[in-house]
Amino acid sequence: MNDKSGELARKIREAQERQRQMAAGGNDGSGERGKDEKGKALRAGTDLVAALAVGIFLGYWVDRWLDTKPWGVIFFVFVGFAAGFLNIYRSQTGQDYKVGFKPGAPDSKTGRSQGENDKTE
Amino acid sequence: MANPLQQFVIKPLIPLNIGGYDVSFTQSSLWMGLAVLSATLLMTLSMRSKSVVPNRWQNVTEMIYEFVAGMVHEALGHEGRKYFAFVFSVFMIVLMGNMLGMIPYSFTFTSHIVVTGTLALMVFLTATLVGIFRHGLHFFTLFLPAGLPVFLAPLIILIEIVSYLSRPISLSVRLFANMVAGHTMMKVFAGFSVMMAASSGLGMAGAVLPLLINTALVGLEILIAFIQAYVFAVLTCMYLKDAIELH
Repeated sequence: MNDKSGELARKIREAQERQRQMAAGGNDGSGERGKDEKGKALRAGTDLVAALAVGIFLGYWVDRWLDTKPWGVIFFVFVGFAAGFLNIYRSQTGQDYKVGFKPGAPDSKTGRSQGENDKTE
Repeated sequence: MANPLQQFVIKPLIPLNIGGYDVSFTQSSLWMGLAVLSATLLMTLSMRSKSVVPNRWQNVTEMIYEFVAGMVHEALGHEGRKYFAFVFSVFMIVLMGNMLGMIPYSFTFTSHIVVTGTLALMVFLTATLVGIFRHGLHFFTLFLPAGLPVFLAPLIILIEIVSYLSRPISLSVRLFANMVAGHTMMKVFAGFSVMMAASSGLGMAGAVLPLLINTALVGLEILIAFIQAYVFAVLTCMYLKDAIELH
């Protein structure tokens, strides 16, 4: 009898400990991260193609408008590629499509934005 | 053998023609209606008892609600409460579209670029308008990174604008392509089964193999149906976040 109640008390303590850890966000972090990674991987492919498509579309219309046939498309294909890689870079570094180099956390602002400027140039 | 793309053909159920436009009530419209109806019924009927200890249906509803609420809160913080209804509606219509499409003989309306494109454009325009209303012309500094050397500005702004405009395209194409690819693949494997079963001897026995693969594919497709709805909703949050925060 005494042995059993001791076991029960131990189990309750363990359960409370688990709950505390979950409330502290120990469990939260890993789960959310895993989901995020999956989402990111699924996004990357279409991001590149979509930006390229927008580039070609813009180039085509610039050509029609300014009568500069192949040059508009040629120029905007490169712009589209740059934008596509920018999209992927942003989603992979966890900035999630933030247009402009403005990371969320204010303390990491200077360090991170510096690095990004270097990369995109 | 049936064409695996046959399943995506739109069939009008009630032909309608208004002012020269074909506005027939198609099977796609029917399943969109069913998606809205089933989502509404799920939400209202399951919450009718409002018990403290939820039954199964109420549990499902609460799980979906908390899932989306958590997503919105994580991305937008306290400010995001205003946009919860919007994100939730977008999530539910995509989820229901994908999931109802998994029922045999049903129609997956999210496998049409017209549908996903309209949804994506709606999200894109909402986010842009929210940004413009909140920040006015200041919103357009979104395209001008802080601390950018002046001589690079024209190029970078161009790239940023292309990147911004590519959002609705990648959002819609991702959902549409995933749905078309998945459902085509299932049909192709089902076709293998039928063809092998129609042959004689060893082929007939082998017909069970594509069937096994298809069983696994159905499971995968249900996972993808959920993940795609999740990705769509998460990106909606991200776009809104850009428009709200701006800095």
